[in-house]
Amino acid sequence: MSGGAILDVRHLKVDLATERGTLHAVRDISFSVEPGRTLCIVGESGCGKSMTSLAIMDLLPKSARRTAETLSFRGEDIGSPKVMGRLRGDRIAMIFQEPMTALNPAYTIGDQLCEAYRHHRKASAREAREKAIALLERVGIASAGDRLGQFPHQLSGGLRQRVMIAMALMCGPSLLIADEPTTALDVTIQAQILRLLAELQEELGIALVLITHDLGIVARIADDVAVMYAGQIVEQGKAGDIFGDPHHPYTRGLIDCIPQPGKTRPGERLGTIANTVPSLVGEMRGCAFRDRCPHARPVCAEDVPERRAGDHMWRCVLEALP
Amino acid sequence: MLRFATRRLALALLVALTVSAISFFLLRLSGDIAIALAGEGARDIDIEAIRAQYGLDRPLLFQYGEWLLQVLGGDLGTSLFFRTSVGALVLDKLPVTLILGISSLLFALLISIPLGVLAAIYRNTWIDRLALSIAVVGQALPNFFFALILVMIFSIGLRWLPVSGSGSWQNFVMPTIALGYYVAPAFMRLVRAGMVEVLSADYIRTARAKGLSRRSVIVKHALRNAVVPVVSLSAVQLGYLLGGSVVIETIFALDGLGFLAYESITQKDFPVTQAVVMLLSVFYVLLTFVGDLVNAWLDPRIRVA
Ligand code: SF4
Repeated sequence: MSGGAILDVRHLKVDLATERGTLHAVRDISFSVEPGRTLCIVGESGCGKSMTSLAIMDLLPKSARRTAETLSFRGEDIGSPKVMGRLRGDRIAMIFQEPMTALNPAYTIGDQLCEAYRHHRKASAREAREKAIALLERVGIASAGDRLGQFPHQLSGGLRQRVMIAMALMCGPSLLIADEPTTALDVTIQAQILRLLAELQEELGIALVLITHDLGIVARIADDVAVMYAGQIVEQGKAGDIFGDPHHPYTRGLIDCIPQPGKTRPGERLGTIANTVPSLVGEMRGCAFRDRCPHARPVCAEDVPERRAGDHMWRCVLEALP
Repeated sequence: MLRFATRRLALALLVALTVSAISFFLLRLSGDIAIALAGEGARDIDIEAIRAQYGLDRPLLFQYGEWLLQVLGGDLGTSLFFRTSVGALVLDKLPVTLILGISSLLFALLISIPLGVLAAIYRNTWIDRLALSIAVVGQALPNFFFALILVMIFSIGLRWLPVSGSGSWQNFVMPTIALGYYVAPAFMRLVRAGMVEVLSADYIRTARAKGLSRRSVIVKHALRNAVVPVVSLSAVQLGYLLGGSVVIETIFALDGLGFLAYESITQKDFPVTQAVVMLLSVFYVLLTFVGDLVNAWLDPRIRVA
């Protein structure tokens, strides 16, 4: 999956200093994103997927340490804070999970929409305003001109997330990273926002990295999928391969958990994978999933091979699922 | 917003009224005005005469009501010592106290906001600890003591500044520093705590994700939100500074309201003491009210609601 990649991440690690010792939140992951495609990084909370997005954006908390062999955007080294300082918010944009708190309560929507555009493009206030109105209309906000003068608390969660999307698109980025963009929203709004993101991605030809815990979302939107578990990518490939022919027991388990229309009755408990994620503090040997894996065997405690078939990659002692 | 303002104003007036009543009764309890008026060595019969003449033999509540009506009519009474109108006396001294109060407030803000911001950005480093120790010293040192240290250094040692008087701007330098330094730590802590909280807010991450400059993230997005409580504290502290000027004005013989209050107490000049106490409390209450209003205006969640 490289060559014309817009984003190339090789051997990324993120360590967090905690009271209990060093927490390895991201343990050596590699992936790339091609222009105009959607990569979904999926996993349970605490698997390191959000840390991955923050690491790419250079927005990690102070206690975190990032190392990477390659971190490049269109060939430019975004591991350098100087390069990233120039690209962030301009060529590379990000939207976050919590639309309720991600906007500054003290400034109007218009101000917050325009400031990055004015900063990066040195545009006039009028230009920025016109651009903001056009984008608000594009993301489906009625009477956009009036909205510009409103404050975040006057908008609903769904509207705020639309504003966040418009804000991320102000400078016309070629890469958009969305960290759980619909998780905090009502189910009906979730679907609308997801559809909007997919539309915009296609229309503007941007590369989208969508971080989510919800494989249902992945199934609807992804071109490529990376499944993360305990700080590692355990399976990666084209969406068709991942859903049609999963090779990792964890992926299989996640897919079995997706509620199927017609198969799950209302109120019925959805399938879950037993046990919880292992601690990420300290070194880890063998497969991290072995406590929860139905196919675990003694050899799983030793080094786990990385297997490949074309651009489909998985990390398991098994060559194929039984 | 208008309803919010009128409600707060009504509350403020009520507080001012209460303070005036309490101070009126306390002052009457602290000594007999008739004896003070009659002067030393007066006979009982003279004192009784004065008591009847000034209406001091009537019930306290009645006297308070009468005084209040007078004050509302703009008449603060006559000074027993200076034999002039209290209103004119107070008006004459007011500018000095206002200048001192405002300049010490500005001085306090000028040192505490940058210190608080720096302490928050570099929290748990030596910069943070340095800022904290400056604050601790400021709060631990009684301000008259700090004032005396300033006098030792700048007047006696370096001979840069005059020790006392209120004729020129140089007379205000040391009082401003002594008074301002005393309230600065409260601001610094507030700014630091506010900044620490705000800097970890989601919208700060959003601002950083937009690629804004560090200055813009800290000043525009963080400080603006962290500074909201500072505004109302400023108003309250200004009220406190006006009252706290009693000690500092006395030390530096700065001829303001505080000095007047001190003199009137030693001279048993009740009408003056009463008027100054009431005036300072009205200031305090009004400034708190202004603080609330500014706070509301700064926080769109209150303003637009
Ligand atoms: S390596 Fe072993 S424990 Fe891990 S997923 Fe494969 S079979 Fe399961």
